[in-house]
Amino acid sequence: MQERKVTISNRLGLHARAAAQLVRRASQFTSTVELLRQDTRQTADGKSILSVLLLAASRGTTVFIRTDGPDEERAANALVELVEGKFGEETSDGLF
Amino acid sequence: MASSKTRARDLKMTGLAASPGIGVGRALRLDERGRHQFYYIEVSAAQVRTEIRRLREALGEAREQLEEIKVRLARELGYEHSYILDAHLLMLEDKNLVGELEQEIRARRVNAEWAVRSVTDRVVKAYKQVKDAYLRERASDIEDVSARLLTVLSGHTKFDLSAMEQDVIIVAEDIWPSTVAELDFNRVLGFATNAGGMTSHSAIIARALGIPACVGLHDVTRRVKTGDPMILDGESGEVIIRPTKPLMRAFLERRDLKARQRRGRQTDTARPAETLDGTRMTLRANVELPTEVESLALFGAEGIGLYRSEFMFLNRLPELPSEEEQYLVYRRLAEATGSAGASIRVFDLGGDKLSLEGFEQEQNSALGLRAIRLALKVEDIFRTQLRAILRANMEGNLRVVLPLISTINELREAKRIIQDVKGEMAEGSVEHNALLPVGVMIEVPAAAMLADIFAREADFLSIGTNDLIQYLLAVDRANEHVAHLYQPLHPAVLRTIAYLVRTAQAEGVSLELCGEMAANPIHAIALIGLGVRTLSLTPASIPLVKNAIRSIDLGQVRSLMSDAMKLASADEVESLLARELPRQAPQFFAAWPAQG
Repeated sequence: MQERKVTISNRLGLHARAAAQLVRRASQFTSTVELLRQDTRQTADGKSILSVLLLAASRGTTVFIRTDGPDEERAANALVELVEGKFGEETSDGLF
Repeated sequence: MASSKTRARDLKMTGLAASPGIGVGRALRLDERGRHQFYYIEVSAAQVRTEIRRLREALGEAREQLEEIKVRLARELGYEHSYILDAHLLMLEDKNLVGELEQEIRARRVNAEWAVRSVTDRVVKAYKQVKDAYLRERASDIEDVSARLLTVLSGHTKFDLSAMEQDVIIVAEDIWPSTVAELDFNRVLGFATNAGGMTSHSAIIARALGIPACVGLHDVTRRVKTGDPMILDGESGEVIIRPTKPLMRAFLERRDLKARQRRGRQTDTARPAETLDGTRMTLRANVELPTEVESLALFGAEGIGLYRSEFMFLNRLPELPSEEEQYLVYRRLAEATGSAGASIRVFDLGGDKLSLEGFEQEQNSALGLRAIRLALKVEDIFRTQLRAILRANMEGNLRVVLPLISTINELREAKRIIQDVKGEMAEGSVEHNALLPVGVMIEVPAAAMLADIFAREADFLSIGTNDLIQYLLAVDRANEHVAHLYQPLHPAVLRTIAYLVRTAQAEGVSLELCGEMAANPIHAIALIGLGVRTLSLTPASIPLVKNAIRSIDLGQVRSLMSDAMKLASADEVESLLARELPRQAPQFFAAWPAQG
């Protein structure tokens, strides 16, 4: 299992647009993806949009990304990259 | 379920008796969500697989729809904006959600629609509890996805009602015309609804289809679950939920007796509606659904006195029926009625029903922007309807009736538009028959009082009793607190109708009457006694009313009604008729209950 600690830093947090990207990316891997909020200890299935949205992780929230499976390392790296790259939000008006 | 053992038997509820007949069978709950109505059905173990397959197909189709929209949106608005659809797409692919949906079908043995509803309800509830305002808003995305799934499920992969093993009594908040169109009528024993009055759509539809109905039951949907045995008495307005065996047997016997009586009455449809002293009446049909034209001959209707064109619009909202679609329906009416003809009432809708921009639900829609008032406002829609009618008129004898006329200006303006449309069609060489009589619905008291004025500019007058009584007595029949004040035999109603008959005769214009009043044999005879000669009513009631007419002497009934008009109240009129009609026409009225 891989575990990475990230802080949600894009303006709108893990809202629909960002959550959709995260779920899409997570779903490309065989490994399971679990998100864990540091403050509330709430977990979410990283491949389920409904679950990720319910995490309600706004900007500044610290989240652990846990991946488990044959491609766990690549999965963890890809997801960290996505979160740290602020989901490419700077290029959009962030409407959604 | 354990709780069913303790659920009360013989639970009685009383609503409005909206369509006669007795239904004894099991309940089928019809639920609604937004623009959807669907069933809650417990399915067999074998059907579970079918339901899961329907669910999967629906998920697939909903995804395809969203993919298409997403591509279009990305093209037109840019890539960023298509992300919201991405979220919707991911919801449809969400393993947790799909797993829960399938589990719901398996564990509870319900149809796919119900699983979608209950599972998304739970998810929405979870979202609404989140502190984040933005995420609370996402609940609407889930509802949107749920609505899309339900739409797909109600489409070509619809739950097959004929797969049910038993005939059913439909229990619903209200029955929508679009839902009725999907029902297999042979399996429906009755309608029981929370909402509605005698003139509500469910009541009108039930009568049109000859299905017993009780409406205005308030919370029958909460007291009945699918599969519960129940009795529905469309004559007393009573519904009995989970009846005990003896009661059930008693009602089954009554139902069979009634069925035999009805069959006996229907044998003489070919004979004319003629009184004993030889005056011929004309009985025409009120029609809502185009498929009803097939039953006209069966019931002995002489043409269509009222085609409620708004039903076509209601079935299609928020889209409007095209000219071609309307043309095909009107042509069917024209062809089916031949020389007897069909009167098409201009769409009698409120602006809110059309879902048009700028027309919102009104506080007092009965007195608001509807019927002719709306038609003149949305002239394009009115013109489309007129073009379709004028074209279809090539195939028969159509007439057009203008609803809710209250001032002469409305009639003049409508006639000007009709003239203009004819001119346009002639110019564009569009084949049509310009010989289209234009009638005025007399349903607003002001129009009744000025009947002589209207008679001079209209080709015919048509009394619409449902609304005329409502406006004359200021009673909303759908409001159960005042429904008892809706009295068709109120002397004010009788005097108004007598005045209209006299005026039409003096002005030499033809007069007919349509409305639920004409379907009640006692009321129909009262109307004939007031001088009305043409009645338009629910086709299924025509044989009964015809038999009543054939049993009376017009001279006697005329003098009876001139006495009735001098009475002070509806109750007095009713007792007079209840006493005199069985004496005058024992062969029909002796057996008829005084309450009609």
